[in-house]
Amino acid sequence: MTLAVEQVTKHFGGLMALTDVNFIVNPGEIVGVIGPNGAGKTTLFNLITGVLPPSSGKIIYQNRPLIGLKPHKITELGIARTFQNIRLFGNLTALDNVLVGAHCRTKSGLWPGVWHTKTQQQEELNTREKAKELLQLVGIDEDEISLAASLPYGKQRRLEIARALASQPNLLLLDEPAAGMNESETDDLQVLIKKIQKLGTAIILIEHDMGLVMNICDKLVVLNFGKKIAEGIPQMIQNNPAVIEAYLGKEDE
Amino acid sequence: MDTILNPYYLQIIMFIIINAILGISIYLTLATGQLSLGNAGFMSIGAYVSALLTLKAGMPLYMAVPLGGAAAAIMAAVIGIPTTRLRGIYLAIATLGFGEVIRVIILNLTITNGALGLSGIPSMGIMLSKGLTAMGLGAGIGNMSVRQLGTIATILILASILGFLVFFSLRLSTSRLGRAFAAIKADEHAAEISGIDTRYCKLLAFFMGAFVAGIAGGLAAHISFYIGPKDFAYHRAVEILLFAVLGGSNVVWGPLLGSVILTSLPEVLRFATEYREMIYGGILVAMMAFRPQGLISEETLGYWQKKFTSRPTATKPIGLPRRTTP
Repeated sequence: MTLAVEQVTKHFGGLMALTDVNFIVNPGEIVGVIGPNGAGKTTLFNLITGVLPPSSGKIIYQNRPLIGLKPHKITELGIARTFQNIRLFGNLTALDNVLVGAHCRTKSGLWPGVWHTKTQQQEELNTREKAKELLQLVGIDEDEISLAASLPYGKQRRLEIARALASQPNLLLLDEPAAGMNESETDDLQVLIKKIQKLGTAIILIEHDMGLVMNICDKLVVLNFGKKIAEGIPQMIQNNPAVIEAYLGKEDE
Repeated sequence: MDTILNPYYLQIIMFIIINAILGISIYLTLATGQLSLGNAGFMSIGAYVSALLTLKAGMPLYMAVPLGGAAAAIMAAVIGIPTTRLRGIYLAIATLGFGEVIRVIILNLTITNGALGLSGIPSMGIMLSKGLTAMGLGAGIGNMSVRQLGTIATILILASILGFLVFFSLRLSTSRLGRAFAAIKADEHAAEISGIDTRYCKLLAFFMGAFVAGIAGGLAAHISFYIGPKDFAYHRAVEILLFAVLGGSNVVWGPLLGSVILTSLPEVLRFATEYREMIYGGILVAMMAFRPQGLISEETLGYWQKKFTSRPTATKPIGLPRRTTP
């Protein structure tokens, strides 16, 4: 089991953002988290990555409780994420963005960096090699030396995924990766996510594009007003009356 | 020859180098996006500690100055642990307050001689010329007196310290830690999520900035004979910050150029003494309006690099390319 979310609750003052949410993610699985806006999806990501502490409940990653760990420690353990509103390091090149992502997998400190020791140089070359491979994987290797901020939107989304992958995650959290993309871009993204899954990475995907979600997810978790209202394989969720009600409303009788 | 070796000019060159070192100290903290106004305070710690060590304990300079830097760094570690949690303007206010506290403490201690300051600090130039005399150069070389030689030797020492710090900063900016610093500056939250220990990096940057400021203080004390609490007041903190504002803080050359311009400007504008402050202020307002990123930014470097190398930037030389040239 890669991740287990157990009875997780988060409230901001009187607002219940999440109430007793449970689900598990198995190794290599793609789990979709869907729900109307404000359902608590991003809050869930913030709890898993340690940005916010849950009010109660447990989050367990590979038999290790995550609560109380700092975000960078959680990344080091193998959980990476992307953001709903892209957060790249705009004035760094695409390659440097990916290199920053590899920070927790590299070691050289201050002095080796200044004196260019042999181990540091070797590590630097290896990391660059891997970073270039990742840029190739997401399909933006020709933009290696462009500043991240100057890349078009779709490429920025891809670069963010490459940066997240640079930390060699076992679990990747994607927050609306298809937002703002056209159909063909979404199709490419679908291929990319499948590729990442083949590398052995489990993925939790927040997405509003139902086509994408239904196509690639092994399991769906549906949230509404912070509560899990359904969980199961996509075909089952599609016909679940509670889900239809949450999305479309209930017919008056 | 005599006009170039005029002690007045030599003195100005020394101040320019000291200020350039201070420019690097603010660059190092700003590299992580931390706006610290405490560098004048760290400078004063370095200056007083090393001056007292040479004056009262008779310690040689080459030990006293690094110890001054170390004292500043220790102080930075103590105040950095709480203050590096602060961001932006809050950090600026906290560090400014710290600088004032240090100044008031110095003003009230007996060992620092209060408002009168410390005078008779052994001068580096005189020490070096004594050394040169002992080496049998008492008569000087050519038409240069041994005093001038001592001053020139001082300048060479200061310049090599500055040179090392520039080298250090350049190498740092292209290393793993330098990238982490730049990432924190660009987006601290995203940097932390990307696996960077932001607290450690920010503390390290703060610590390095303080150490360099302390060294600059120690050196300043030993070239100017006298130091007093007034030298390290609020205006000094702002002056150091202005090096980075004028020159730019994204690459190390920025604060360096800023410090050279702002130190020589008062001398160049000597003919217009009455309007000096006005011109000074005018330049800064113009900077904010037309070039808020400072005189030298990463694009500037890229532009000049392209001009001087006929090779297009796409065909990069083998090895590890610089971060700053897209």
